[in-house]
Amino acid sequence: GSSVLCSVVGPAEVKIRDEKLDKATLDVVARPLVGLPGVKDKAREQAIRETLEPLVLSGLHPRTGIQIVVQTMKDDGCVLSTAFNATILALLDAGIPLKSILGSVTCIIDSKTNQILLDPTTEELALAKSTHVFVFDNKTSVSSTQQENDNMDQDNADSALGAVLFSDSTGLFTEEEYFECAQVCFKATQAVHGFIRTAVQKKLEKEYQQIQA
Amino acid sequence: MASIAAEQETPAGPQIVLPGDLLPSSDSGLLDDAPAAPVIKLGPGLQPMDDDTIIAVKAGTLKHAAVGNRWWIESNQRRYVAAPGESVVGVVVGKTVDHYKIDIGTAQPALLGVLAFEGASKRNKPDIKIGALVYCRVSLANKDMEAELECFNPTTGKADGYGELKSGFVIKTSLGLARRLLDPKTLILRLLGQHVPFETAIGMNGKIWINSTSPKHTILICNAIKNSEYLNAQECTTMVKSLIERL
Repeated sequence: GSSVLCSVVGPAEVKIRDEKLDKATLDVVARPLVGLPGVKDKAREQAIRETLEPLVLSGLHPRTGIQIVVQTMKDDGCVLSTAFNATILALLDAGIPLKSILGSVTCIIDSKTNQILLDPTTEELALAKSTHVFVFDNKTSVSSTQQENDNMDQDNADSALGAVLFSDSTGLFTEEEYFECAQVCFKATQAVHGFIRTAVQKKLEKEYQQIQA
Repeated sequence: MASIAAEQETPAGPQIVLPGDLLPSSDSGLLDDAPAAPVIKLGPGLQPMDDDTIIAVKAGTLKHAAVGNRWWIESNQRRYVAAPGESVVGVVVGKTVDHYKIDIGTAQPALLGVLAFEGASKRNKPDIKIGALVYCRVSLANKDMEAELECFNPTTGKADGYGELKSGFVIKTSLGLARRLLDPKTLILRLLGQHVPFETAIGMNGKIWINSTSPKHTILICNAIKNSEYLNAQECTTMVKSLIERL
């Protein structure tokens, strides 16, 4: 599997030319496994920065900078999803105020079997007809009419989709395939959110041991 | 705040929240504490949203004090954001005619007025060198300006422990550990005090100043405090014992 190391420093001092009067400036740096950062890393930086900008409550820290550095440690496919998940965990650890958390999952549609495969490895990515990266937040954006019908209509509940914060798809696919992938990834993202919650819980339990004793 | 707080206990334990979690709605019964005071006071970690809901913006434990129907999140981080009334340990990094520039770990250095000391006047100003340590109180802090500090207790006008810290050593810890050290229920400082005499100034900005009779003792205390962050009472006792034995 892939592995990414993410560090978050902030709210810290920022150069006057990068200063924003009413918000914090988000600076994302993505470093590859080997070599100098290239276009792919710049694209990764932009994806992370633009997805996080509406999520971070930067109005609480004007004229400061928040620097996020994402370093790829192992590359076996899905590095962007791994980077998203690592970033949100680092932001939680750094205590940066956020409107919600996010979770990211990658899936592919296999060219031979036409099946949807989650978390593809580099090998599986090579055989993919299309690749889809999704990022969801932890608030289900079910419309109010759907909510009323939820108890009566199980189909509606199954087709409920969370708010998509980021979506990147490459390859050949139909509209139905795209929405099916979105559904599958949404369900898988619940597991990512669950993991984040468990990780936070475990850390807090360890911190409070002395006081509760 | 911690001393009069009641933890928000669910049957499974304290309620852990993540950003995006809504504060319990009024029908869950958790906001019923003060019927005479329907106003909810929000502390750190909670933000009201445009649609009249309240969401958590930090990961941590949801806390509630019945007095004044106050709600807040206890979270941990290493970066300090200034808040008025907190005591902090800082380093003097600059000096002008009216104030000292103090680095307290915030994005911008804070300002300590040259006359913000006990018994200071235009003719009797304290002389603190650049690089010196000071223990002060945050008198003014908001998100748009540099924080302002003072070296006296505003209610009494006396120094009350604030001022320059001479000799000793400063370590940087997380904000949560610093807050827990200020709580008398935390074991580590009492444990260390039984073996080694020392004095300490705990800054809520995560900087802790320690001074004792010899550098060996100072280093031992610093290491013990840093190690104690994730240990329970039993492990703390064992850790301190093993450090003392090696003295």
